[in-house]
Order: sequence, then C-alpha cells, then structure tokens
Amino acid sequence: MSELILDRLRKEYGSFVAVDDVSLRVEEGELVALLGPSGCGKTTTLRMIAGFIEPTAGRITIGGRDVTWEPPYRRDTGMVFQSYALFPHMTVAQNVAFGLEMRKVPRAEAETRVRQALDLVRLGHLAERLPRQLSGGQQQRVALARALVVNPGVFLLDEPLSNLDAKLRLEVRVEIRELQKRLGLTTVFVTHDQEEALTLADRLVVMDHGVVQQVGTPEELYESPANLFVAGFIGRSNVLRGRLAERGRFISKGGLALAVPADGMAPGEAALALRPERIVVAPGASDGGVVGRVALVTYLGAATEYRVTLDGGETITASVPTPRPGDPLKQVAAGDAVTLTWPAESCRLLAPGPGATPDEGGL
Amino acid sequence: MATATAIGARPGGQRAEGFSLGPFLLVPASLLVVAFLAAPLLVLFRYSFNRYSPREFMVDAFTLENYARFFTDAYFIGVLATTVQVAAVCTLVSLLFAYPLAYLMARTESRWKSALVIAVVFPLMVGNVVRAAGWMAVLGNEGIVNHLMLSIGLISRPVRLMYTPFAVYVGIIAVVLPYMILTLQSVIEGIGREVEEAAANLGAGPMTTFRRVLLPLSLPGVIAGGTLVFILCMNAYATPVLLGGPQFKMMAPALYDQFTRTTNWPFGAALAFILMTSTLLLTIVGTTVLSRRMHHRKLEAAPR
Repeated sequence: MSELILDRLRKEYGSFVAVDDVSLRVEEGELVALLGPSGCGKTTTLRMIAGFIEPTAGRITIGGRDVTWEPPYRRDTGMVFQSYALFPHMTVAQNVAFGLEMRKVPRAEAETRVRQALDLVRLGHLAERLPRQLSGGQQQRVALARALVVNPGVFLLDEPLSNLDAKLRLEVRVEIRELQKRLGLTTVFVTHDQEEALTLADRLVVMDHGVVQQVGTPEELYESPANLFVAGFIGRSNVLRGRLAERGRFISKGGLALAVPADGMAPGEAALALRPERIVVAPGASDGGVVGRVALVTYLGAATEYRVTLDGGETITASVPTPRPGDPLKQVAAGDAVTLTWPAESCRLLAPGPGATPDEGGL
Repeated sequence: MATATAIGARPGGQRAEGFSLGPFLLVPASLLVVAFLAAPLLVLFRYSFNRYSPREFMVDAFTLENYARFFTDAYFIGVLATTVQVAAVCTLVSLLFAYPLAYLMARTESRWKSALVIAVVFPLMVGNVVRAAGWMAVLGNEGIVNHLMLSIGLISRPVRLMYTPFAVYVGIIAVVLPYMILTLQSVIEGIGREVEEAAANLGAGPMTTFRRVLLPLSLPGVIAGGTLVFILCMNAYATPVLLGGPQFKMMAPALYDQFTRTTNWPFGAALAFILMTSTLLLTIVGTTVLSRRMHHRKLEAAPR
C-alpha cells in the first residue's frame, strides 16, 4: 500500500479543460471519494491515475515513484470498472488469476491467493463459472477480487455501484468499506452519488468543471461548505441572495434582515446558505421569527417538508421531524401562515457565485 | 444479463403461442434461391455425369469419367493445388494486413473515422476488371513501379512483374482486403475497450493483452472474415486471368475455358463441382479447427 499524490494534474482537450490543476494527497490506507456531477472531471482524473489518459501537465506519484509517464501496466494500480470489464472467455478463477500470472507468481502460490481472494468476496464456490453465468452483484465482487488479489499500491473504483439495484448497492457499499479498512488500501473512489460518498469516504473531493471545489471530511463539507456549489451538492441548502450590510447583519434581496455569524466575510454582496433541517416551523405568524405562508407540505415519513413563501417573495424549505398527532403543526396545510426560526450560527455566508441547485431558494 | 436469464430459465418455461408471420416472410427469398441458385446447380450437376463428344458436344450418359479425368490428370490437379495455395496465402496475408487497420478503425474516436470507412469500402464500388486494369498500369513493363525503379537506377532493365504469380497475389489481396477489414472491425467494435484496459491495469503489456484477451475474443470475426475471404479467393476469376496471364491457371478460369473454348460442358461442370466441394470442405475443416480451439478454451474453463 502506498501514498498517492497528484500534483497540479491537468487535462485539456483542445480548448476544453477537463481537469484543471488538481492537487491531492491520499494517505496510506485512506479512502478518498471524487464527487461531482457528470462531466466534472472526476473520471478523467481517475483514468489519469490508472494511466489510461495522458495528462497535459502535472505529476502523479504512487508510493514515492513518479508514474506520470508510465504505461498502465507498470503502475501497480488495481481498478474496478463501472462495467466490471471481466474477461468473458475466462472463468472467475482465471479472471482473478490474470494479474498474478502477469506478475509471474508461482502457480501454487497463485492458486492459494486466488482462493483467498474469492473467499474474501464470498465467491469461492463459483470459481469455475464464466462471468456471464453470474448475477450483477457477483460479477461486481469478482471484479473486486481481481483487483485486490495483486495487492495494488492504489485501489481505484470507477462508479462501481452504479449498475447494481438499490438494495444490493447498500450491501456492496458496506462490503467495499470493510475490505478497504481490513486491507488498509489506499483508495480513490469516483461517484456522482453524494450519499455514497458521505457514507464511504474518509475524505471527499468535490469537483465541478474540472476544478476541485473543496476537500474535506464528510462533516467538514456538510457543516462548512466552501462555496454555493458545495452547499448545494453535499446535502441540500436554502440559498438567499443579498448583501452583508455590516458584520452580523444580512439583508436579502426580498428585504429580509437576518442575524448571521459575525466572522469571516467583509460587508458587500453575499449569499446565505441554510440547511432545511436546521429550521424550526411553528404554526401562525408571530414575532421573533421569519413569517411566511406554506406553499407545499411534503410528507416523507420520518420527516415532513414545508415549502414556505416569505413576504418578500423568497422561498425557504424547512425539513422537520413529522409532527405527532395532536401537535398543532399537524394541522398546518398549504396557505396557512407559519413562523420560521433557526439559530443564527446555522447560517453560512458564501461568495455569491453560481450555485449547484437550479431551483435555488426553494432548494 | 440476457444470457444469464436464459441459462437460469425454468425448464417448463412457456413460449408465447399464436399466429406468426415469420415463415411466410421467407417465401419470396426461398423461391428466388430455388429458381436462380438451386435449379441451375442441379442441372449443372446432372451435366457433369454426361459424356463429351467432339461432334455432338454433350451426350446424355451416366458416367464418372469426367471426375476420373480430373483426378488422373496432373495438370488439373496442379490447377486445384495452385488455387488452394493462392486462396490460403491471400486469406492469411489479408488477415495479417486487415487486423491492425480493423482494430484502429474500431477504436478510433477521430472524426476521420467515417472517411476511413469510406476509403475501405470505396474499392468495392470498382469492379474487379477495372481494378485489374489499374494493376496492369502499375505493374507493367512500362508501369509506374518499373519506371520508378529505372529512374532511380535500382534496375537497368524493366523487371517482369505482370503475368506472374506475384501480380495475382497482389491483385487478389487488394480485392478481398475490404471484406476482411469490415468483418473484423465490426467484431472488434463489439469487444469493450474496458476489457483491454482491465488487462493493462492488471499488468499485461500490449502483446499479452492482444494474445490473451483481444485475439480470443475476436476469434469469431477471424473465422467469419477468413471464411468469406477464402471463398472469394477460391473462386477468383478476373484477377488471375488479367494479371496472371495464360500460363497461370486457377480453377475458375480453367472451368470457364472448358465451357467456352473447348465447349466441353460435362468436364466443365465436373470442374465446377470439384471447386465447389473442395472450397466447402476446406472451409469446414478450417472453421472447425479454429472453433475447436475456441471451444477448447471454454472446456478448460468449464466446471470440473
């Protein structure tokens, strides 16, 4: 296992910049998820690490060895492809043994390691099957075993769960995490599914338009998004645009004056991000909160969402635990007046750039 | 996934029953085949048992003497041997030439891809005779090749290129190459690029990836292209006549001679059936050997 370093990695296709100076350090045994919408450059970055795409500029180091210009077969990465890419003309055992054969591992040792790898993914009994005789989940685990059996310096996963159904996805997700922890694998995981990234990764790299937007632990990204894109992409956020009148006082375009944390930004144009689940909804209009009318009530089981139109025309969505029977909130329906309150410190002031959510304001 | 379902299908699985138009759609094509292919062949087959008489040309009979004549005449055995040799060499060479190009065409993402396909298909729009005439201009004593070699002083007198086996090989390979390329290309395109990437990722260099992954997976294309091209080569007519000259004899021109020049229809018919049968046999032998190899791998891989 070894440390992976990307140093100002860049890929241009003509005038289009697919990956824009990405720098990243993945520690030994760490699982880092590259997360972003399609076309954000995450897959291109992963394929550059594997050696399938030559970077335009920058450096890739695996375990202290500069592999930027090495061909894929001299890189010592183990990749799991989105389509699994199993060799259809070889059995499961032959698929898993392929990498060992290339490394000229003696036959007896190779057989033992293949058996261990297949037992690791609980497929020992299917060793002599052909890939097409397996279910999607089983093929997926063969792909994992094939990549793991060679003890790769870096373990690469390209959307490995996207071809599985929802229930299986959850199972395999847990399995991958357990394996990765147990074997101490330095891992890079590409996904567009933020929930997958949040639950799997030690650290997340959020990308958009080829640029790294923020790197951090799931909690860091959720609690302190660096910009509007991250605020909208990791979890959901209400976004109010306006300006910071003075430190601690934000005035929205709709004329709403709000108390905000006094640290950070200098007065001027700004955007305010607020998580829906930090908002408390009370029936009726009252002082000491933001008053609006309910536009839509959405029942989600454990939680209920209230889409509230404020007097200034802006929209805020609040997500609260579904009220018990007897709670006055239970009676609130579309058209009723409500009061919204939230702790000032849950507001996060951000630079007024473009956001990730198209239906900004109402999420 | 579809295959997986098929394998796991219930033994008592029901098939939708009801009226199907399918068989009726085959009627026009079947009639056409019977009228224009099967019937003439049957007539010709009957002719091959007739007797030839210089005065009456063809006498109704039931004799094997035409076939006997072929197998006892060293000249005609030689013609068949030449034909098989030309066909085998041309098939092999066109396979070697076509594979890299087919691979390139299957894998390229260049916007010139369609131009490349058109360039490969284009020769098919020009008849064999016209192309042979083109080769005459290139390979003749006054042709481009000789002219070039003379002008740079490589040779002092024109080298004879036309009316040699070499000219025939070149001409036939040029004719069959597009068929081989297009067949291989479509098969290689069906093999996911990721499979090759997976091999590279596991430490296989380009040659190993080709030998262990690409070639076994593209074997069906090699078999299909090889069969198609071999049959075309065995039956080549215009190219050997125009580029090989009178001395160079292959089966198709030889049997045509029997029909037109010597007007020996019974023997010509026998030659036609010998050519057809040997083509069929060799094709069957070739494809079985190759499919065995493919099947053998699968047997090795089958549950023990």
